[in-house]
Amino acid sequence: MVQIVISSAGAGGLAEWVLMELQGEIEARHSTGLAGNLLGDLHYTTEGIPVLIVGHHILYGKIIHLEKPFAVLVKYTPGEQDCDELGCESSTRYLVTALIKNKILFKTRPKPIITNVPKKV
Amino acid sequence: MTRAEVDATLQTAKLDAAELLPAAHCLRFGPAAAGDVCLLELEPALCGRLQAGHSLVIRGDKDEQAVLCSEDKTYDLKVADTSNMLLFIPGCKIPEQLKMEETHSNIIHTEIFGFSNNYWELRRCRPKLKKLKKLLMENTYEGPDSEKEKDSSHLKYTTGDLLDQIQASEEEIMTQLQVLNACEIGGYWRILEFDYEMKLLNHITQLVDSESWSFSKVPLNTCLQELGPLEPEEMIEHCLRCYGKKYTEEDSEVYFELSADKICRATAQMLLQNAVKFNLAEFQEVWQQSVPEGMTTRLDQLQGLALVDRQSRPEIIFLLKVEDLPEGDQERFSSLFSLREKWTEEDIAPYIQDLCGEKQTVGALLTKYARSSMRNGVKVYNSRRPIS
Repeated sequence: MVQIVISSAGAGGLAEWVLMELQGEIEARHSTGLAGNLLGDLHYTTEGIPVLIVGHHILYGKIIHLEKPFAVLVKYTPGEQDCDELGCESSTRYLVTALIKNKILFKTRPKPIITNVPKKV
Repeated sequence: MTRAEVDATLQTAKLDAAELLPAAHCLRFGPAAAGDVCLLELEPALCGRLQAGHSLVIRGDKDEQAVLCSEDKTYDLKVADTSNMLLFIPGCKIPEQLKMEETHSNIIHTEIFGFSNNYWELRRCRPKLKKLKKLLMENTYEGPDSEKEKDSSHLKYTTGDLLDQIQASEEEIMTQLQVLNACEIGGYWRILEFDYEMKLLNHITQLVDSESWSFSKVPLNTCLQELGPLEPEEMIEHCLRCYGKKYTEEDSEVYFELSADKICRATAQMLLQNAVKFNLAEFQEVWQQSVPEGMTTRLDQLQGLALVDRQSRPEIIFLLKVEDLPEGDQERFSSLFSLREKWTEEDIAPYIQDLCGEKQTVGALLTKYARSSMRNGVKVYNSRRPIS
């Protein structure tokens, strides 16, 4: 049997992130993938409604306080140098990097921005 | 992205800046996350444990359904897929937070750490403890002079070894070890061979009798003094702990209050294990005669240990231990129904009580796995499926 430890950064050491839930998939404009690319601008109305502008679309969403929070786990597999003399006991671990207690949910259909938009926005 | 560019976008989108909070996030995908990242859904209590710095452990064999354990609870671990995209964003603020801070019309450059379209879901479950007894029964303890103890090749398990093998939390394992009357000897957990356990118990009850002590006030020190020459002191004390409750008097002497229920139950097991079944009336007579004087035997002391058949002539009783039955819900019921076609709730309850989840009742389980009917004015349950 395997035991995989999920360890916590420690008391008071956990950052709080936010989850954003979008319908469908996001595709990169170029073939280089999403890393490093801009997603869009996130605004909030004075009433607290989140507004996301992605490319040529506007999405309206809502803030949900999660009844069941999430933990963000990052997998860590020790490298060669972490093995002891008796051989490599590649004990995979997960590190709790952050907690998520709120999510921004966009589930309405995105509204296209129809206008003469210069190529670079 | 500068403020000017963001404002330009707002204008193009025909959004009125006056209706928006002054701060805005400019979201960008971060570098490809090094290593796997995933989301684990938590119940608030577990979240609290992580925040306090405690760890969780996933346990399971390749061919088993994985479970996740905290120090004292066990959960089934499943991957939940969603058709939506979940982005996890550090440093992103929600309106409540922005409103509390100063209203700068600044751009918060935010990097998306990663994204996923699934997450790990937890559901509280019963710890899988049947394996614990199975492992410890491989090498039962028969006393320090037994040949077995001289042979170190026999398997023995430390607490750490057990955590490596059993899909349960440490606290649940510890509790079950107590239920099994297991003893930590030389750092290893051992289950006593039943005859050896009875030998220890008999030494104690005979001493109580010869000293004319009350069963509720058995002095530890005198027991150790008198029985020490016969058996190891740790084993005598272990037996007292298994069959009684320890307390200290004002004179700081340690005493044990022996449990008549536990002693009667063990005596019954000793009698019943020698035959397939017994004539109920005869058994009850022998049983009462076999327990220490002053103790009263009652059939309800045998719940989960023995089953009475009042339909047969003569009425009989036989050994049926709940811990020897299958662990899974459906398998347990199939096994019980192949043993006996129809059960009353009173008879079956001790054999399904351990299946009840956090908020489940025996009644709910019966509704799910059995069908009820009336027999001679009494409600009985039988299988929903045909039993071969």
